[in-house]
Amino acid sequence: MVVWCFSATFGRISLVSWLTMASKFKPHRLPPSADACLPLESSTKRARTMMSTHSSIKDAFSSYADYLNALNEKRERVVKASRDVTMNSKKVIFQVHRISKNNREEVLEKAEKDLAAVRDQQISRLVKELEGTDFWKLRRAYSPGVQEYVEAATFFKFCKTGTLLNLDEINASLLPLSDPSREPLQINLLDYLLGLADLTGELMRLAIGRISDGEVEFAESICRFVRDIYRELTLVVPLMDDTYDMKTKMDTMLQSVVKIENACFSVRVRGSEYIPLLGSSDPSSFLLRVSDAEL
Amino acid sequence: MQSAFRNAYHFTLSRYNLNPNSTVLQLVPVISTFSLLPSSVSKTLPFRSTLIASFSTTPMAGDDSDAPQTFPSLEKQFEKFRVQLEDSGNLRERIRAVVLEIESATRLMQASLLFVHQSKPIPEVLEKAKAQIDALKDLYSKLAEVIRECPGQYYRYHGDWRSETQMVVSLLAFMHWLETGTLLMHTEAEEKLGLNDSDFGLDVEDYLVGICFMSNEMPRYVVNQVTAGDYDCPRKVLKFLTDLHAAFRMLNLRNDFLRKKFDGMKYDLKRVEEVYYDVKIRGLATSGDSVGEQGIQGQS
Repeated sequence: MVVWCFSATFGRISLVSWLTMASKFKPHRLPPSADACLPLESSTKRARTMMSTHSSIKDAFSSYADYLNALNEKRERVVKASRDVTMNSKKVIFQVHRISKNNREEVLEKAEKDLAAVRDQQISRLVKELEGTDFWKLRRAYSPGVQEYVEAATFFKFCKTGTLLNLDEINASLLPLSDPSREPLQINLLDYLLGLADLTGELMRLAIGRISDGEVEFAESICRFVRDIYRELTLVVPLMDDTYDMKTKMDTMLQSVVKIENACFSVRVRGSEYIPLLGSSDPSSFLLRVSDAEL
Repeated sequence: MQSAFRNAYHFTLSRYNLNPNSTVLQLVPVISTFSLLPSSVSKTLPFRSTLIASFSTTPMAGDDSDAPQTFPSLEKQFEKFRVQLEDSGNLRERIRAVVLEIESATRLMQASLLFVHQSKPIPEVLEKAKAQIDALKDLYSKLAEVIRECPGQYYRYHGDWRSETQMVVSLLAFMHWLETGTLLMHTEAEEKLGLNDSDFGLDVEDYLVGICFMSNEMPRYVVNQVTAGDYDCPRKVLKFLTDLHAAFRMLNLRNDFLRKKFDGMKYDLKRVEEVYYDVKIRGLATSGDSVGEQGIQGQS
Protein backbone atom coordinates (compact mmCIF):
# COMPACT_ATOMS: atom_id res chain seq x y z
CA MET A 1 0.00 0.00 0.00
CA VAL A 2 2.79 2.31 0.89
CA VAL A 3 4.53 1.40 -2.34
CA TRP A 4 1.38 2.27 -4.18
CA CYS A 5 1.37 5.63 -2.54
CA PHE A 6 4.81 6.22 -3.86
CA SER A 7 4.03 5.03 -7.31
CA ALA A 8 4.64 7.15 -10.34
CA THR A 9 0.97 8.02 -10.44
CA PHE A 10 1.66 10.70 -7.87
CA GLY A 11 4.24 13.32 -8.63
CA ARG A 12 6.24 13.94 -5.48
CA ILE A 13 4.91 17.44 -5.14
CA SER A 14 1.34 16.39 -5.48
CA LEU A 15 1.94 13.74 -2.82
CA VAL A 16 3.26 16.36 -0.48
CA SER A 17 0.38 18.70 -1.09
CA TRP A 18 -2.03 15.81 -0.72
CA LEU A 19 -0.45 14.83 2.55
CA THR A 20 -0.54 18.37 3.86
CA MET A 21 -4.15 18.60 2.77
CA ALA A 22 -4.85 15.32 4.44
CA SER A 23 -3.37 16.51 7.68
CA LYS A 24 -5.74 19.45 7.57
CA PHE A 25 -8.68 17.14 7.05
CA LYS A 26 -7.68 15.01 10.03
CA PRO A 27 -8.68 11.33 10.04
CA HIS A 28 -12.32 11.90 9.26
CA ARG A 29 -12.56 13.26 5.78
CA LEU A 30 -10.00 11.65 3.55
CA PRO A 31 -10.02 11.62 -0.20
CA PRO A 32 -11.22 8.10 -1.05
CA SER A 33 -7.99 7.10 -2.76
CA ALA A 34 -6.05 7.90 0.37
CA ASP A 35 -7.86 5.47 2.60
CA ALA A 36 -5.36 2.76 2.00
CA CYS A 37 -2.39 4.91 2.95
CA LEU A 38 -3.49 6.84 5.99
CA PRO A 39 -3.96 5.24 9.37
CA LEU A 40 -7.48 4.10 10.21
CA GLU A 41 -8.90 3.44 13.63
CA SER A 42 -7.91 -0.20 13.70
CA SER A 43 -5.61 -2.57 15.50
CA THR A 44 -3.04 -2.36 12.75
CA LYS A 45 -3.09 1.38 13.15
CA ARG A 46 0.30 1.47 14.77
CA ALA A 47 2.14 -0.39 12.01
CA ARG A 48 0.41 1.60 9.30
CA THR A 49 0.97 4.81 11.22
CA MET A 50 4.65 4.13 11.35
CA MET A 51 4.93 3.28 7.69
CA SER A 52 2.98 6.24 6.43
CA THR A 53 4.51 8.47 9.07
CA HIS A 54 7.84 7.47 7.66
CA SER A 55 6.86 8.51 4.19
CA SER A 56 5.06 11.63 5.29
CA ILE A 57 7.99 12.71 7.46
CA LYS A 58 10.31 12.26 4.52
CA ASP A 59 8.07 14.19 2.23
CA ALA A 60 7.46 16.97 4.68
CA PHE A 61 11.17 17.28 5.30
CA SER A 62 11.95 17.31 1.65
CA SER A 63 9.65 20.31 1.33
CA TYR A 64 11.37 21.92 4.33
CA ALA A 65 14.69 21.22 2.62
CA ASP A 66 13.46 22.91 -0.55
CA TYR A 67 12.30 25.89 1.46
CA LEU A 68 15.60 26.23 3.31
CA ASN A 69 17.65 25.76 0.16
CA ALA A 70 15.71 28.45 -1.65
CA LEU A 71 16.02 30.81 1.30
CA ASN A 72 19.73 30.25 1.78
CA GLU A 73 20.51 30.54 -1.91
CA LYS A 74 18.56 33.76 -2.09
CA ARG A 75 20.40 35.02 0.94
CA GLU A 76 23.74 34.20 -0.69
CA ARG A 77 22.85 36.08 -3.84
CA VAL A 78 21.65 39.06 -1.85
CA VAL A 79 24.90 39.10 0.14
CA LYS A 80 26.91 39.06 -3.07
CA ALA A 81 24.88 41.88 -4.56
CA SER A 82 25.24 43.83 -1.34
CA ARG A 83 29.02 43.39 -1.43
CA ASP A 84 29.13 44.82 -4.92
CA VAL A 85 27.08 47.79 -3.77
CA THR A 86 29.53 48.32 -0.92
CA MET A 87 32.58 48.17 -3.15
CA ASN A 88 31.25 50.54 -5.74
CA SER A 89 29.84 52.96 -3.19
CA LYS A 90 33.27 53.13 -1.60
CA LYS A 91 34.69 54.06 -4.99
CA VAL A 92 32.24 56.96 -5.19
CA ILE A 93 33.32 58.11 -1.75
CA PHE A 94 36.99 58.01 -2.74
CA GLN A 95 36.13 59.97 -5.84
CA VAL A 96 34.37 62.69 -3.87
CA HIS A 97 37.30 62.88 -1.45
CA ARG A 98 39.49 64.11 -4.31
CA ILE A 99 37.50 67.32 -4.37
CA SER A 100 39.26 70.62 -4.03
CA LYS A 101 38.69 74.24 -4.96
CA ASN A 102 40.16 73.70 -8.41
CA ASN A 103 38.51 70.53 -9.61
CA ARG A 104 35.16 70.76 -7.87
CA GLU A 105 32.97 70.59 -10.94
CA GLU A 106 34.68 67.69 -12.63
CA VAL A 107 35.02 65.66 -9.47
CA LEU A 108 31.35 66.09 -8.67
CA GLU A 109 30.32 65.36 -12.21
CA LYS A 110 32.20 62.09 -12.25
CA ALA A 111 30.92 61.23 -8.78
CA GLU A 112 27.36 61.84 -9.88
CA LYS A 113 27.83 59.54 -12.82
CA ASP A 114 29.42 56.88 -10.68
CA LEU A 115 26.68 57.13 -8.09
CA ALA A 116 24.05 56.76 -10.77
CA ALA A 117 25.94 53.70 -12.03
CA VAL A 118 25.91 52.17 -8.55
CA ARG A 119 22.19 52.72 -8.42
CA ASP A 120 21.44 51.48 -11.91
CA GLN A 121 23.72 48.46 -11.81
CA GLN A 122 24.53 47.26 -8.34
CA ILE A 123 21.44 48.37 -6.44
CA SER A 124 19.40 47.25 -9.37
CA ARG A 125 20.88 43.79 -9.02
CA LEU A 126 20.11 43.81 -5.32
CA VAL A 127 16.52 44.66 -6.12
CA LYS A 128 16.41 41.83 -8.62
CA GLU A 129 17.75 39.27 -6.15
CA LEU A 130 15.32 40.31 -3.45
CA GLU A 131 12.43 39.77 -5.84
CA GLY A 132 10.24 42.17 -3.92
CA THR A 133 9.95 40.00 -0.79
CA ASP A 134 11.75 39.17 2.45
CA PHE A 135 12.94 42.75 2.90
CA TRP A 136 12.98 42.48 6.67
CA LYS A 137 13.84 38.80 6.76
CA LEU A 138 17.04 39.25 4.79
CA ARG A 139 17.86 42.71 6.06
CA ARG A 140 21.11 41.57 7.69
CA ALA A 141 22.27 40.31 4.32
CA TYR A 142 21.97 43.58 2.45
CA SER A 143 22.12 46.18 5.23
CA PRO A 144 25.89 46.84 4.96
CA GLY A 145 25.62 47.52 1.25
CA VAL A 146 22.66 49.81 1.69
CA GLN A 147 24.39 51.69 4.48
CA GLU A 148 27.44 52.23 2.31
CA TYR A 149 25.22 53.47 -0.52
CA VAL A 150 23.47 55.91 1.81
CA GLU A 151 26.89 57.09 2.97
CA ALA A 152 28.05 57.68 -0.60
CA ALA A 153 24.85 59.37 -1.73
CA THR A 154 24.63 61.71 1.25
CA PHE A 155 28.34 62.49 0.99
CA PHE A 156 27.96 63.46 -2.63
CA LYS A 157 24.82 65.51 -1.94
CA PHE A 158 26.53 67.45 0.80
CA CYS A 159 29.54 68.27 -1.32
CA LYS A 160 27.27 69.36 -4.11
CA THR A 161 24.64 71.40 -2.24
CA GLY A 162 25.64 71.56 1.41
CA THR A 163 22.42 69.87 2.45
CA LEU A 164 21.44 66.46 3.74
CA LEU A 165 19.92 64.01 1.32
CA ASN A 166 16.60 62.97 2.81
CA LEU A 167 15.44 59.40 3.16
CA ASP A 168 12.42 60.18 1.01
CA GLU A 169 14.59 61.58 -1.74
CA ILE A 170 16.90 58.61 -1.81
CA ASN A 171 13.96 56.22 -1.81
CA ALA A 172 12.27 58.09 -4.62
CA SER A 173 15.38 57.60 -6.70
CA LEU A 174 15.20 53.86 -6.08
CA LEU A 175 11.57 53.45 -7.07
CA PRO A 176 12.19 53.22 -10.82
CA LEU A 177 14.56 50.30 -10.27
CA SER A 178 11.81 47.95 -9.22
CA ASP A 179 9.49 46.11 -11.47
CA PRO A 180 6.04 47.73 -11.11
CA SER A 181 4.45 44.42 -10.23
CA ARG A 182 6.69 43.93 -7.22
CA GLU A 183 7.22 45.78 -3.98
CA PRO A 184 10.05 48.24 -4.52
CA LEU A 185 13.13 48.19 -2.37
CA GLN A 186 12.92 51.13 -0.03
CA ILE A 187 15.70 51.90 2.37
CA ASN A 188 14.38 51.66 5.87
CA LEU A 189 14.90 54.19 8.58
CA LEU A 190 17.43 52.11 10.50
CA ASP A 191 19.77 51.56 7.56
CA TYR A 192 19.52 55.23 6.68
CA LEU A 193 20.55 56.30 10.16
CA LEU A 194 23.39 53.80 10.23
CA GLY A 195 24.64 55.08 6.89
CA LEU A 196 24.39 58.63 8.19
CA ALA A 197 26.61 57.75 11.12
CA ASP A 198 29.29 56.50 8.73
CA LEU A 199 28.88 59.68 6.67
CA THR A 200 30.15 61.78 9.55
CA GLY A 201 33.40 59.82 9.57
CA GLU A 202 33.96 60.59 5.91
CA LEU A 203 33.08 64.22 6.49
CA MET A 204 35.68 64.37 9.22
CA ARG A 205 38.29 63.07 6.82
CA LEU A 206 37.16 65.56 4.23
CA ALA A 207 37.31 68.45 6.67
CA ILE A 208 40.84 67.64 7.74
CA GLY A 209 41.87 67.26 4.12
CA ARG A 210 40.30 70.57 3.14
CA ILE A 211 41.98 72.35 6.01
CA SER A 212 45.39 71.18 4.89
CA ASP A 213 44.53 72.57 1.46
CA GLY A 214 43.61 75.85 3.00
CA GLU A 215 39.86 75.63 2.45
CA VAL A 216 39.03 76.60 5.98
CA GLU A 217 35.53 77.84 5.29
CA PHE A 218 34.54 74.61 3.64
CA ALA A 219 35.88 72.80 6.71
CA GLU A 220 33.88 75.05 8.97
CA SER A 221 30.70 74.43 7.04
CA ILE A 222 31.39 70.71 7.36
CA CYS A 223 31.82 71.25 11.08
CA ARG A 224 28.42 72.92 11.39
CA PHE A 225 26.77 70.21 9.34
CA VAL A 226 28.22 67.36 11.34
CA ARG A 227 27.26 69.09 14.57
CA ASP A 228 23.67 69.34 13.35
CA ILE A 229 23.53 65.69 12.40
CA TYR A 230 25.02 64.60 15.70
CA ARG A 231 22.58 66.71 17.63
CA GLU A 232 19.58 65.40 15.74
CA LEU A 233 20.74 61.84 16.07
CA THR A 234 21.10 61.96 19.83
CA LEU A 235 17.34 62.18 20.15
CA VAL A 236 16.63 59.45 17.69
CA VAL A 237 19.27 56.80 18.31
CA PRO A 238 18.05 55.58 21.71
CA LEU A 239 14.71 54.70 20.12
CA MET A 240 16.16 52.54 17.38
CA ASP A 241 15.54 48.81 17.08
CA ASP A 242 18.94 47.49 18.06
CA THR A 243 20.76 50.40 19.55
CA TYR A 244 24.03 48.63 20.26
CA ASP A 245 25.69 49.21 16.88
CA MET A 246 24.41 52.71 16.66
CA LYS A 247 25.62 53.60 20.14
CA THR A 248 29.21 52.77 19.25
CA LYS A 249 28.81 54.74 16.06
CA MET A 250 27.59 57.71 18.08
CA ASP A 251 30.72 57.62 20.20
CA THR A 252 32.87 57.56 17.09
CA MET A 253 30.76 60.36 15.67
CA LEU A 254 31.35 62.55 18.65
CA GLN A 255 35.07 61.93 18.28
CA SER A 256 34.83 62.96 14.63
CA VAL A 257 33.00 66.15 15.56
CA VAL A 258 35.62 66.96 18.15
CA LYS A 259 38.43 66.26 15.66
CA ILE A 260 36.91 68.66 13.17
CA GLU A 261 36.33 71.29 15.82
CA ASN A 262 39.90 70.98 17.05
CA ALA A 263 41.27 71.22 13.54
CA CYS A 264 39.25 74.37 12.87
CA PHE A 265 40.43 75.74 16.18
CA SER A 266 44.06 74.99 15.38
CA VAL A 267 43.79 76.71 12.05
CA ARG A 268 42.31 79.79 13.63
CA VAL A 269 44.89 80.01 16.35
CA ARG A 270 47.98 78.75 14.62
CA GLY A 271 47.02 79.34 11.04
CA SER A 272 50.37 80.33 9.73
CA GLU A 273 51.73 76.86 10.36
CA TYR A 274 49.00 75.29 8.26
CA ILE A 275 48.64 77.72 5.42
CA PRO A 276 52.06 79.11 4.57
CA LEU A 277 51.07 79.97 0.99
CA LEU A 278 48.03 82.09 1.73
CA GLY A 279 49.01 85.63 2.50
CA SER A 280 47.01 88.11 4.49
CA SER A 281 45.94 89.85 1.30
CA ASP A 282 44.00 86.87 0.04
CA PRO A 283 40.34 87.79 0.64
CA SER A 284 39.46 84.26 1.72
CA SER A 285 42.27 84.13 4.21
CA PHE A 286 41.36 84.48 7.81
CA LEU A 287 44.65 86.32 8.17
CA LEU A 288 43.18 89.17 6.14
CA ARG A 289 43.23 91.82 8.78
CA VAL A 290 46.25 90.62 10.69
CA SER A 291 49.13 93.03 10.28
CA ASP A 292 52.41 91.70 9.06
CA ALA A 293 54.02 92.53 12.36
CA GLU A 294 51.92 89.96 14.12
CA LEU A 295 52.52 87.13 11.66
CA MET B 1 16.86 65.42 -11.20
CA GLN B 2 16.63 67.63 -8.13
CA SER B 3 13.10 68.72 -8.95
CA ALA B 4 12.00 65.16 -9.42
CA PHE B 5 13.28 64.37 -5.96
CA ARG B 6 11.52 67.40 -4.63
CA ASN B 7 8.27 66.32 -6.19
CA ALA B 8 8.65 62.84 -4.88
CA TYR B 9 9.43 64.19 -1.45
CA HIS B 10 6.34 66.33 -1.41
CA PHE B 11 4.29 63.65 -3.00
CA THR B 12 5.09 61.11 -0.34
CA LEU B 13 4.59 63.68 2.40
CA SER B 14 1.25 64.89 1.16
CA ARG B 15 0.17 61.39 0.33
CA TYR B 16 0.97 60.50 3.84
CA ASN B 17 -1.20 63.22 5.29
CA LEU B 18 -4.12 62.52 2.98
CA ASN B 19 -4.48 58.99 4.18
CA PRO B 20 -7.10 59.26 6.91
CA ASN B 21 -5.91 56.13 8.61
CA SER B 22 -2.27 56.88 8.90
CA THR B 23 -0.66 58.89 11.58
CA VAL B 24 2.29 61.04 10.70
CA LEU B 25 4.55 58.42 12.04
CA GLN B 26 3.96 55.80 9.56
CA LEU B 27 6.09 57.38 6.90
CA VAL B 28 8.41 54.47 6.88
CA PRO B 29 5.68 51.87 7.13
CA VAL B 30 3.88 53.49 4.24
CA ILE B 31 6.98 53.45 2.18
CA SER B 32 7.93 50.06 3.45
CA THR B 33 4.43 48.91 2.74
CA PHE B 34 5.41 49.28 -0.86
CA SER B 35 8.26 47.03 -0.22
CA LEU B 36 6.86 44.64 2.30
CA LEU B 37 3.38 43.69 1.24
CA PRO B 38 3.21 40.10 0.06
CA SER B 39 3.75 40.13 -3.62
CA SER B 40 0.46 38.38 -4.14
CA VAL B 41 -1.25 41.66 -3.32
CA SER B 42 -1.88 43.16 -6.69
CA LYS B 43 -3.09 46.50 -5.48
CA THR B 44 0.47 47.79 -5.56
CA LEU B 45 0.23 48.07 -9.30
CA PRO B 46 -2.43 50.79 -9.43
CA PHE B 47 -0.82 52.33 -6.37
CA ARG B 48 2.52 52.68 -8.10
CA SER B 49 1.03 54.10 -11.26
CA THR B 50 -0.71 56.81 -9.24
CA LEU B 51 2.61 57.50 -7.63
CA ILE B 52 4.30 57.93 -10.96
CA ALA B 53 1.44 59.96 -12.38
CA SER B 54 1.62 62.34 -9.46
CA PHE B 55 5.26 63.00 -10.08
CA SER B 56 4.30 65.57 -12.65
CA THR B 57 1.22 66.99 -10.98
CA THR B 58 2.44 67.72 -7.48
CA PRO B 59 3.32 71.37 -7.17
CA MET B 60 6.70 72.38 -5.88
CA ALA B 61 5.54 74.19 -2.84
CA GLY B 62 7.20 75.76 0.11
CA ASP B 63 10.61 75.09 1.46
CA ASP B 64 12.41 71.93 0.58
CA SER B 65 15.69 70.16 0.82
CA ASP B 66 17.36 72.55 -1.58
CA ALA B 67 16.82 75.59 0.60
CA PRO B 68 20.05 77.31 1.57
CA GLN B 69 19.50 76.67 5.28
CA THR B 70 19.36 73.06 6.33
CA PHE B 71 17.72 73.61 9.68
CA PRO B 72 13.99 73.41 8.93
CA SER B 73 14.08 70.37 6.68
CA LEU B 74 16.76 68.62 8.70
CA GLU B 75 14.85 69.05 11.91
CA LYS B 76 11.60 68.15 10.26
CA GLN B 77 12.98 64.93 8.90
CA PHE B 78 14.45 63.90 12.22
CA GLU B 79 11.29 64.84 14.06
CA LYS B 80 9.45 62.47 11.76
CA PHE B 81 12.03 59.80 12.44
CA ARG B 82 11.69 60.27 16.17
CA VAL B 83 7.96 59.87 16.01
CA GLN B 84 8.20 56.78 13.82
CA LEU B 85 10.72 55.17 16.10
CA GLU B 86 8.64 55.95 19.15
CA ASP B 87 5.76 54.22 17.46
CA SER B 88 7.77 51.15 16.63
CA GLY B 89 9.08 51.19 20.19
CA ASN B 90 5.53 51.19 21.51
CA LEU B 91 4.64 48.38 19.20
CA ARG B 92 7.56 46.40 20.51
CA GLU B 93 6.40 46.93 24.06
CA ARG B 94 2.97 45.62 23.22
CA ILE B 95 4.54 42.63 21.56
CA ARG B 96 6.68 42.00 24.63
CA ALA B 97 3.62 42.08 26.84
CA VAL B 98 1.89 39.39 24.78
CA VAL B 99 5.06 37.34 24.56
CA LEU B 100 5.41 37.37 28.33
CA GLU B 101 1.95 35.89 28.59
CA ILE B 102 2.85 33.29 25.99
CA GLU B 103 5.87 32.45 28.07
CA SER B 104 3.83 31.94 31.21
CA ALA B 105 1.27 29.75 29.44
CA THR B 106 4.16 27.74 28.04
CA ARG B 107 5.62 27.29 31.49
CA LEU B 108 2.32 25.94 32.77
CA MET B 109 2.17 23.52 29.86
CA GLN B 110 5.73 22.44 30.47
CA ALA B 111 5.16 21.90 34.17
CA SER B 112 2.18 19.63 33.54
CA LEU B 113 4.12 17.70 30.93
CA LEU B 114 6.90 17.02 33.39
CA PHE B 115 4.60 14.48 35.02
CA VAL B 116 5.26 12.03 32.21
CA HIS B 117 8.66 11.45 33.71
CA GLN B 118 6.93 10.30 36.86
CA SER B 119 4.80 7.76 35.00
CA LYS B 120 1.58 9.53 35.50
CA PRO B 121 -0.89 8.17 32.93
CA ILE B 122 -0.45 9.96 29.67
CA PRO B 123 -4.06 10.95 28.97
CA GLU B 124 -4.26 12.67 32.34
CA VAL B 125 -1.05 14.58 31.77
CA LEU B 126 -2.09 15.55 28.28
CA GLU B 127 -5.44 16.82 29.40
CA LYS B 128 -3.90 19.33 31.73
CA ALA B 129 -1.32 20.41 29.21
CA LYS B 130 -3.88 20.73 26.45
CA ALA B 131 -5.81 23.25 28.47
CA GLN B 132 -3.06 25.72 27.72
CA ILE B 133 -3.30 25.31 23.98
CA ASP B 134 -6.41 27.42 23.74
CA ALA B 135 -4.79 30.13 25.81
CA LEU B 136 -1.83 30.05 23.47
CA LYS B 137 -4.06 30.20 20.46
CA ASP B 138 -5.64 33.36 21.81
CA LEU B 139 -2.32 34.91 22.62
CA TYR B 140 -0.94 34.25 19.17
CA SER B 141 -3.98 35.79 17.59
CA LYS B 142 -3.44 38.82 19.82
CA LEU B 143 0.12 38.94 18.56
CA ALA B 144 -1.08 38.66 14.99
CA GLU B 145 -3.42 41.56 15.59
CA VAL B 146 -0.62 43.75 16.88
CA ILE B 147 1.57 42.92 13.90
CA ARG B 148 -1.25 43.54 11.50
CA GLU B 149 -0.84 47.23 12.24
CA CYS B 150 2.42 47.27 10.34
CA PRO B 151 1.99 44.82 7.51
CA GLY B 152 5.07 43.10 6.21
CA GLN B 153 7.14 43.69 9.30
CA TYR B 154 6.75 40.21 10.80
CA TYR B 155 10.47 39.63 10.51
CA ARG B 156 11.36 43.01 11.90
CA TYR B 157 9.99 41.97 15.29
CA HIS B 158 10.37 38.22 14.83
CA GLY B 159 13.25 38.00 17.31
CA ASP B 160 10.90 39.06 20.08
CA TRP B 161 8.86 35.87 19.91
CA ARG B 162 11.30 33.50 18.29
CA SER B 163 12.58 31.53 21.27
CA GLU B 164 9.18 31.38 22.96
CA THR B 165 7.64 30.00 19.79
CA GLN B 166 10.36 27.40 19.47
CA MET B 167 9.57 26.23 23.00
CA VAL B 168 5.87 26.11 22.23
CA VAL B 169 6.47 23.99 19.14
CA SER B 170 8.66 21.59 21.09
CA LEU B 171 5.99 21.07 23.73
CA LEU B 172 3.23 20.64 21.17
CA ALA B 173 5.34 18.14 19.25
CA PHE B 174 6.10 16.18 22.40
CA MET B 175 2.45 16.07 23.32
CA HIS B 176 1.53 15.01 19.80
CA TRP B 177 4.07 12.22 19.98
CA LEU B 178 2.85 11.02 23.35
CA GLU B 179 -0.63 10.84 21.91
CA THR B 180 0.00 9.39 18.47
CA GLY B 181 3.61 8.31 18.22
CA THR B 182 4.03 10.46 15.13
CA LEU B 183 5.77 13.69 14.33
CA LEU B 184 3.83 16.92 14.44
CA MET B 185 4.16 18.54 11.02
CA HIS B 186 4.74 22.20 10.38
CA THR B 187 1.25 22.72 8.99
CA GLU B 188 -0.29 20.83 11.91
CA ALA B 189 1.63 22.97 14.38
CA GLU B 190 0.41 26.09 12.62
CA GLU B 191 -3.11 24.87 12.85
CA LYS B 192 -2.91 24.07 16.53
CA LEU B 193 -1.85 27.61 17.23
CA GLY B 194 -4.36 29.14 14.88
CA LEU B 195 -1.68 30.58 12.66
CA ASN B 196 -1.63 30.81 8.90
CA ASP B 197 1.01 31.63 6.37
CA SER B 198 -0.57 34.62 4.76
CA ASP B 199 -1.22 36.53 7.96
CA PHE B 200 0.98 35.52 10.87
CA GLY B 201 2.70 32.25 10.20
CA LEU B 202 4.96 29.81 11.93
CA ASP B 203 8.47 30.28 10.67
CA VAL B 204 9.82 27.00 9.30
CA GLU B 205 13.15 27.38 11.06
CA ASP B 206 11.40 28.05 14.37
CA TYR B 207 9.40 24.86 13.83
CA LEU B 208 12.55 22.84 13.09
CA VAL B 209 14.36 24.16 16.16
CA GLY B 210 11.29 23.32 18.23
CA ILE B 211 11.44 19.75 16.93
CA CYS B 212 15.09 19.54 17.95
CA PHE B 213 14.18 20.72 21.44
CA MET B 214 11.58 17.98 21.56
CA SER B 215 14.14 15.34 20.71
CA ASN B 216 16.17 16.55 23.67
CA GLU B 217 13.38 15.32 25.92
CA MET B 218 13.41 11.79 24.52
CA PRO B 219 16.41 10.29 26.29
CA ARG B 220 15.17 11.38 29.68
CA TYR B 221 11.67 10.09 28.95
CA VAL B 222 12.94 6.73 27.79
CA VAL B 223 15.15 6.27 30.83
CA ASN B 224 12.31 7.02 33.19
CA GLN B 225 9.87 4.80 31.34
CA VAL B 226 12.24 1.86 31.52
CA THR B 227 12.81 2.49 35.20
CA ALA B 228 9.06 2.40 35.67
CA GLY B 229 8.86 -0.91 33.83
CA ASP B 230 7.81 0.03 30.30
CA TYR B 231 10.34 -2.02 28.34
CA ASP B 232 8.68 -1.48 25.01
CA CYS B 233 9.20 2.26 25.03
CA PRO B 234 12.85 2.30 23.91
CA ARG B 235 12.07 0.44 20.73
CA LYS B 236 9.33 2.88 19.76
CA VAL B 237 11.33 5.93 20.68
CA LEU B 238 14.37 4.64 18.85
CA LYS B 239 12.42 4.06 15.67
CA PHE B 240 10.88 7.50 15.90
CA LEU B 241 14.10 9.29 16.61
CA THR B 242 15.96 7.38 13.91
CA ASP B 243 13.38 8.41 11.34
CA LEU B 244 13.46 11.96 12.59
CA HIS B 245 17.23 12.16 12.44
CA ALA B 246 17.24 10.67 8.97
CA ALA B 247 14.71 13.22 7.84
CA PHE B 248 16.75 16.05 9.31
CA ARG B 249 19.79 14.81 7.42
CA MET B 250 17.93 15.71 4.24
CA LEU B 251 18.25 19.37 5.14
CA ASN B 252 21.18 21.46 4.00
CA LEU B 253 21.84 23.45 7.09
CA ARG B 254 24.27 26.29 7.31
CA ASN B 255 26.30 26.90 10.45
CA ASP B 256 23.64 28.52 12.55
CA PHE B 257 21.61 27.81 15.66
CA LEU B 258 19.45 25.22 13.92
CA ARG B 259 22.55 23.36 12.82
CA LYS B 260 23.85 23.29 16.36
CA LYS B 261 20.57 21.91 17.65
CA PHE B 262 20.51 19.28 14.94
CA ASP B 263 23.99 18.21 15.91
CA GLY B 264 22.69 17.80 19.45
CA MET B 265 20.02 15.40 18.19
CA LYS B 266 22.77 12.94 17.37
CA TYR B 267 23.56 12.61 21.06
CA ASP B 268 19.92 12.15 21.98
CA LEU B 269 19.74 9.33 19.46
CA LYS B 270 22.89 7.76 20.83
CA ARG B 271 21.54 7.87 24.36
CA VAL B 272 18.26 6.24 23.33
CA GLU B 273 20.21 3.54 21.47
CA GLU B 274 22.15 2.81 24.63
CA VAL B 275 18.97 2.44 26.66
CA TYR B 276 17.47 0.19 24.02
CA TYR B 277 20.62 -1.92 24.04
CA ASP B 278 20.55 -2.21 27.83
CA VAL B 279 16.99 -3.38 27.72
CA LYS B 280 17.48 -5.75 24.80
CA ILE B 281 20.53 -7.65 25.99
CA ARG B 282 18.91 -8.30 29.28
CA GLY B 283 16.01 -9.84 27.43
CA LEU B 284 13.64 -7.36 28.96
CA ALA B 285 12.33 -6.05 25.67
CA THR B 286 9.15 -7.65 24.42
CA SER B 287 8.87 -9.37 21.04
CA GLY B 288 7.95 -7.73 17.75
CA ASP B 289 11.43 -6.36 17.48
CA SER B 290 12.02 -6.75 13.77
CA VAL B 291 11.38 -3.12 13.06
CA GLY B 292 13.50 -2.11 16.03
CA GLU B 293 16.38 -4.34 15.00
CA GLN B 294 16.35 -2.90 11.55
CA GLY B 295 16.56 0.44 13.22
CA ILE B 296 19.63 -0.63 15.19
CA GLN B 297 21.35 -2.25 12.24
CA GLY B 298 20.46 0.59 9.97
CA GLN B 299 22.33 2.95 12.25
CA SER B 300 26.00 3.51 11.54
